[in-house]
Amino acid sequence: MPGRHRPLWLLAPGAVLTVLVIVVPLAVALHISLLDLDQYSFRQWVRAPFVGLANYTEAVRASGAVHAIVLSTSYAAIVTVVTLPIGVAAALATQDRFRGRGLVRSVFLVPYVLPAFVVGTVWRIILQPDGVANGLLARLGIDGGLWLNGRQSFWALVVVQIWASWPLLYLLALAGLQSVDPVLHEAAALDGAGWWDKLRYVIFPHLRGPVGLAVIIAFLHNINNFTLPFVLFGVPSPRDVEVLPVLTYVESFQNFRFGLSAAMAVLSLVLIAIPLAGYLRAVRLDVGQDGVDQGSRA
Amino acid sequence: MTGSTRRRTGSGTGPVTRLLPGPLRVLVIGVLLVVVLAPVLYMVFASVNSDLSVAEGAFLPTSLDLGNYLRIWSTVELGRGLANSLLVAGTVAAGCAFVALGSAYVLVRYAFRGRLAILRGLLALQSIPGTLMLLPVFVLFASAAQLLGIPVIGTRWALFVTYLTFALPFSTWVMVTYLRGLPPELDEAARVDGASAWQVLTRVILPLSWPGLVVAGIFALLLGWNDVLFASVLTNPDSRTAAVALQVFGATQEGGAIPVYGQLMAAALVCAAPVVVLYLVFQRYLISGLTAGGVK
Repeated sequence: MPGRHRPLWLLAPGAVLTVLVIVVPLAVALHISLLDLDQYSFRQWVRAPFVGLANYTEAVRASGAVHAIVLSTSYAAIVTVVTLPIGVAAALATQDRFRGRGLVRSVFLVPYVLPAFVVGTVWRIILQPDGVANGLLARLGIDGGLWLNGRQSFWALVVVQIWASWPLLYLLALAGLQSVDPVLHEAAALDGAGWWDKLRYVIFPHLRGPVGLAVIIAFLHNINNFTLPFVLFGVPSPRDVEVLPVLTYVESFQNFRFGLSAAMAVLSLVLIAIPLAGYLRAVRLDVGQDGVDQGSRA
Repeated sequence: MTGSTRRRTGSGTGPVTRLLPGPLRVLVIGVLLVVVLAPVLYMVFASVNSDLSVAEGAFLPTSLDLGNYLRIWSTVELGRGLANSLLVAGTVAAGCAFVALGSAYVLVRYAFRGRLAILRGLLALQSIPGTLMLLPVFVLFASAAQLLGIPVIGTRWALFVTYLTFALPFSTWVMVTYLRGLPPELDEAARVDGASAWQVLTRVILPLSWPGLVVAGIFALLLGWNDVLFASVLTNPDSRTAAVALQVFGATQEGGAIPVYGQLMAAALVCAAPVVVLYLVFQRYLISGLTAGGVK
């Protein structure tokens, strides 16, 4: 077809915004991470003294960045590992038809639908020293102790994030389940397989792909989460929940150590690089003629 | 042979596709319903309870005081916050949906160099931590204000541009998966009739794309509505969104005698209600959009 015009200009608005608000700032972040920038040099940030990798050295040696990276990674990993079986079990339980299934599915989505700042506000009150959580534990004969301060605060963050994020794995597992070919069910029934054997040898192998992807997405969500720890514990937050996003924020907008904060932010990019690479490899970017029904699945 | 198999599956589709035994299913659903609903119910109860009763750890309310739902409009300045949130998130939703439609149309219907790189970029950009972008965006906005001599930080424009850009990758991805579901014969026919790309997009694709546009728009709206990170730095008391108004109100309660828990809970419920209603109304479409990035 001669002269077939490709309207590539339609990409322009998105491209301009992406360059101005994402690509250029990324370059600026890299640049600032090499500067000694604080509130005094801030107005003339282009002329701030160049200090090479000093911010990175300080982040790793003297600041809480290593502690924050360990916290972020372990918290994100624990939450992901715990929400995985919950999400799969919930998907299995709501895949079978029963009366009220639509309502149950809607209720299951509620924690995920609630904004993180609302979840944080509610749980902050629930976890007060004399709050309703400790009241419940006391009835069971357990002394709850402090949840918003000290060592237990880490577990408070883990529990609340599990509560808020398990529906993501549930949704993605459910989507995987719905793509199981009915013929597989019939084959399993003909073989006389019990429910556990069917799950183990038919359903779980089929779910491995979609659920594997869901695990990566959930991990990235967890490790990037700023709002929940910020609202749940406030700033300055207890050291046991000073995850990397919160520490980066505090260094910038409480301590005004902009260079150091930028170095930490760049380190956070390194932290997500490995799961992100896995995600990009696993997703099919393009569908050929065989995959045209992709958008219409409901 | 086949006849008997078919009859067996035909008469019992339920048992054949059943995944969990009945009692186990009831147990899983029951436990999860309790775990999900207890904090949500508590939020409703605490919003009408007396602050003293909440502070003492009561689950059920000892009083029924709906006054909290009136007080929050002056104490939290929730009206202004909700208006700002609605204005910013609403315009972001509309703008984002249409920019995403244009980009997705080109990405789905035309072959060009760099197409796969853009698709990959759409996925990668969703995972960039907001805390990495906050400081440089703040610095650039401050510099732009210096250069242009107009205020940028503290205006709703700053939030609008930021949210619009960060919402674009996911919304574009949603539109890409949606447009792939439209048969290419539709726009090919129009093009053979001599329609330009713009005419095809606005007269053929757009009228068929409303379900996709709604999903792409709602996800953009949620990003703006739920954000605390950028709004806490880029707004001033006049342009504050509901999320920041609530967070600031909660933070000022520390150190007082008894915090006004009831008002906090009432305000949190009011902030959450529009989002939850939106989700439940468009649930089916939103779920298909959400899983588009995960499955396949």
